[in-house]
Amino acid sequence: MSSAYSRQEMMAIATGREIRDGELAIFGVGLSMLAGYFAQACHAPGVRAMTEGGVYGATPVGGLPWGIECNRLAVNAVSFTSALDALGCLVASGRCDVGIIGAAQVDRFGNVNTTGIWDGPIGESYRPPKTRLTGAGGANDIACGAKRYLIMVSHEPKRFVDRVTYISSPGYLDGGDARERVGFVGGGPSAIITTLGILRPDPQSREFQLDAYFPFSGVDEILANTGWNLQVSAGVRVVPEPTLQELAALRRVDQKGMLRR
Amino acid sequence: MSTKVITLAEAVRRYTWDGMQYASGAALPVGSDAIAFGRELLRQKRRDLHAVFHANTQQLNLLAAAGAVARAECGFSGLEGFGFANGLRRAVEQGRLVLEDYSNLGMTLRLLGGALNWPFVPATVNIGSDLQDRRAFEPGIHPNRNKIPAVTDPFSGRQIGAFSPLRPDLAAIHVTLADSDGNAIMLGTEWSRFELSRAAKRVVLLADALVHTDCMRQYPNLVRIPGIIVEAVVYWPFAAWPQASPGMYDVDEAHMQDMNRALGSEEGAAAYVRDYVDSYADLDGYLERIGAGKRAELSNGATAFLLDPYRRWLLPHAEAQALSTGGDA
Repeated sequence: MSSAYSRQEMMAIATGREIRDGELAIFGVGLSMLAGYFAQACHAPGVRAMTEGGVYGATPVGGLPWGIECNRLAVNAVSFTSALDALGCLVASGRCDVGIIGAAQVDRFGNVNTTGIWDGPIGESYRPPKTRLTGAGGANDIACGAKRYLIMVSHEPKRFVDRVTYISSPGYLDGGDARERVGFVGGGPSAIITTLGILRPDPQSREFQLDAYFPFSGVDEILANTGWNLQVSAGVRVVPEPTLQELAALRRVDQKGMLRR
Repeated sequence: MSTKVITLAEAVRRYTWDGMQYASGAALPVGSDAIAFGRELLRQKRRDLHAVFHANTQQLNLLAAAGAVARAECGFSGLEGFGFANGLRRAVEQGRLVLEDYSNLGMTLRLLGGALNWPFVPATVNIGSDLQDRRAFEPGIHPNRNKIPAVTDPFSGRQIGAFSPLRPDLAAIHVTLADSDGNAIMLGTEWSRFELSRAAKRVVLLADALVHTDCMRQYPNLVRIPGIIVEAVVYWPFAAWPQASPGMYDVDEAHMQDMNRALGSEEGAAAYVRDYVDSYADLDGYLERIGAGKRAELSNGATAFLLDPYRRWLLPHAEAQALSTGGDA
């Protein structure tokens, strides 16, 4: 039994369920941090959480932090170091178990674009985007180095494209063994968690398939909101609703109700 | 007593010029950055800057909106929880500013390379993506192999990338505490200020507060920027405003939003420059512009306890100001 919850809350809880107790984990700002600290508040109290600024041992106070370096996290950290330490020594090195990143666009092989939106292909000569976005930030480093990572993205056709215009953070590139051929330290995206369901990569082709849909969603709605010919896994299932305990934990982290707007 | 403390106006007169490669630290979008230095760059009409910012900040957002930057290199280029950086994105979309993209680790590693005077830094990130294949500074070549060229690891034989080192002409670095000789303590994440302070040809500190050198002698392990690599110190409380400085002040949420909204248009940016860049005559005028009530509110945040160990060595405002040389503030 569950009380009412929003689509964004379901996405955050489904993402948090992917985080296991004791893991070394890196969270970005916004939804990613909410999902990560939800996991810590719920089923993974021993998760070793960090942000890319090298802010360790902190849990948010006074609402969702405005940034990875926000005073809402600095207030109870046990160690402050640096980007070189967090993103370099702990992530690019291959030590980090799991990261969570967001996306403006994601494609069938889990490649992520957060750099810009162009009117059609960029072409041979690089040119400014029609809409400039936030750039790669630390997400590229997480995508290259973390043992696995999760992508959180709102499920809309304009975001789920056959091929991203610009790869800011690499997923499985062209699929198959393309990622292995580049020789990345990290293993790649293990799931795309959306506002409608969960996609996971096929072990051989590395193409993302529909693995599960949320209780308020369904296969048809997800196919209609995906810009490529999405394959549906033979074992497609419904994701269990948030429990009351999960919702309570999430709302302790999401004090200001960012996910309920 | 010898002192490196000079006014902000003097620091910009002495250490900056049109077309220079200018770096700021920490270059965090919500936490620390030497934002007051950027305001002074605009007051002195510096232009055609090549900005090196680990991540975008309200400073780069402002400099870009005001048309002072021709080229920039960044990892992250947004404002985190405050959204897209409207001034920067407008300049990029209109083609007035060429933005070269790396990742946040990529920028740190390039600064480390500059600090160590290495010919290149091995790149195991940014490779295999458009961060490697697309070079905004050399748009005609695709895939580009001059930005992060492929090199062979001599031990394993596998292909990786090579990052170019950064050696900016100047780094203006925001710190929490400095003494008059340029020894500095940073509260909160360093981000890349350690690497930047060693990579830049010259370093100017912007300190929220000045302290007696006895403070540094009490906590020498925490002095990650020593005075021997610092040219000058500027005493400038609320140097990172409207962004935060852990232990000192919280982020000014309303101003962050208002400022970013203003920078989204030509007219808004001009009004912002009029009201918050050209409107004050000196440090006290700047602090008045923020407002006594707002300063008290921001200073009363939950991280204020971080400053407790250092309070006994803080120089009072008048004493700190009196140390500054170089004429007009």
